[in-house]
Amino acid sequence: MSSGRHDVGIGLRQPHYAELLNTTPPLGFVEVHSENFFADGGAALAVLHQARAHYPVSLHGVGLALGSAAGLDPWHLDRLQRLVDRIEPLRVSDHACFARAPGPVGVVHANDLLPIAFTEPALAVMAANVSQVQDRLRRPLLIENLSAYVSFTDDAVSEPEFFARLCRRTGCGLLLDVNNLMVNALNAGEPDPLQACRAFIDALPIGIVGELHVAGYCEADTIVIDDHGSHVRPAVWALCAHALRRFGPVPVLVEWDTDVPALDVLLGEAAHAASLHG
Amino acid sequence: MDELQRQQDLLRALSGGAIAGLREQGARAARGLEAYRANAEAGAERALAAAFATVQALVGADDFRRLAREFWHAHPPRHGDLGDWGEAFPAWLAAHAALAPWPYLGDSARLDFALHRSERAADAVLDAASLSLLESTDPSRLRMVLMPGTALIRSRWPIVGIHRAHQLAGEAAEHAFAEVREAIERSRGEDALVVRDGWRAVVVPLPPADARWTESLLAGAALADSLEHAGADFDFAAWLASAIRQAWLKGVLAIHD
Repeated sequence: MSSGRHDVGIGLRQPHYAELLNTTPPLGFVEVHSENFFADGGAALAVLHQARAHYPVSLHGVGLALGSAAGLDPWHLDRLQRLVDRIEPLRVSDHACFARAPGPVGVVHANDLLPIAFTEPALAVMAANVSQVQDRLRRPLLIENLSAYVSFTDDAVSEPEFFARLCRRTGCGLLLDVNNLMVNALNAGEPDPLQACRAFIDALPIGIVGELHVAGYCEADTIVIDDHGSHVRPAVWALCAHALRRFGPVPVLVEWDTDVPALDVLLGEAAHAASLHG
Repeated sequence: MDELQRQQDLLRALSGGAIAGLREQGARAARGLEAYRANAEAGAERALAAAFATVQALVGADDFRRLAREFWHAHPPRHGDLGDWGEAFPAWLAAHAALAPWPYLGDSARLDFALHRSERAADAVLDAASLSLLESTDPSRLRMVLMPGTALIRSRWPIVGIHRAHQLAGEAAEHAFAEVREAIERSRGEDALVVRDGWRAVVVPLPPADARWTESLLAGAALADSLEHAGADFDFAAWLASAIRQAWLKGVLAIHD
């Protein structure tokens, strides 16, 4: 069993399966997208079982759609429950987003992380859905803040307050993605994006953050895209360090999902995250 | 504002509908929505390309991308696992007016999806002890159960040849494509068995009697009825040996009233 000196993990992605399992570098955990392992059987699931023999596994969902006012998909919940039973994960998480909504011929799933409004009714929807999942899985969830490319004029609750109240109401924790904070600050045209992100972190209660995410973003003409396709930016590392000072040594995950680099490059990012743990 | 309505509006806006109440204005709002739209369409393309490799090779990457986007809007996913999405793609391709010059595309897509499904099917091993039922029980009271993910695609087009030609390269591929073109001209149909070979799903061409037999087994018929359906040409002993050796058979099941 490998265990890193620090609680730092990487996203386990297909191009690295063989090398990671052959070399088992020291890591605190690996994280996978739950939905990629929803199949009844097959090679991917076998790889995850192998990985589980070497590392704690964090199941990070992209499809529960916890903010959907149309409610949760029982099909999804059944498969997540089965995967949790199979893998006995270290943590289970998903996003503060919606994806399910009624279309012309029934409810569709957008398979994307679509933004929710920060309103009282949206908080009630999120809390009910989060509680339903936690009751079913009999374990707390971590909920990740989004990078959002559009937002709503009638937001009535600040985002840090929204998460603080969600955590208080349901017992869930926050998976704080500091790269998403930076992407949102840049897209909002904040005059001092780093300061705006620090203020977000400082507005969160201590004790609710269960994991941090860092990743790379890209600038695409008039918008910043959270593409997880490059090195973590220096300002995002600075935010990660700021969050670790405020919340203590919570686990950190390095995400790299597009243009996935050589494993060594990703491990280099993980080593940098470990150095911030001190 | 009603959250369900808001979410429905945003989803509709991603297909070109209007939406009010966004903080972003004008071009910036449009660019934000475009980021989501592009992500969804890229996801659709990736998911369908993973499941329909032969179709992608047949129509080419650019047309496949356009078809994937069109299908996404025509048959949006119902669930949050794109690996499970695309069952309606073969029939949609077969009915697509612009694809009429490729009448075998729908069946090639069915074969692709059967392979994709097979590789996601439950892992299983032969229940060897159940084979003793073949000696102790009347064939009208038995069923042969094939491995999870096994499928049979019967086509009036040479779908096995088409699939195989796309797995080859160089001279072998040229030769295989020449054979396929001839088979298409003569409308020579093929029956394809899809089974797992380890983690990979593979295509096995079946002679007509074996295809009738497999069809009957997959429909859940009793052994005696399947033998009758297969006809006199079918060699059960040879099939059984092969099915055990190649791990097609999961076991034999007694039928209870």
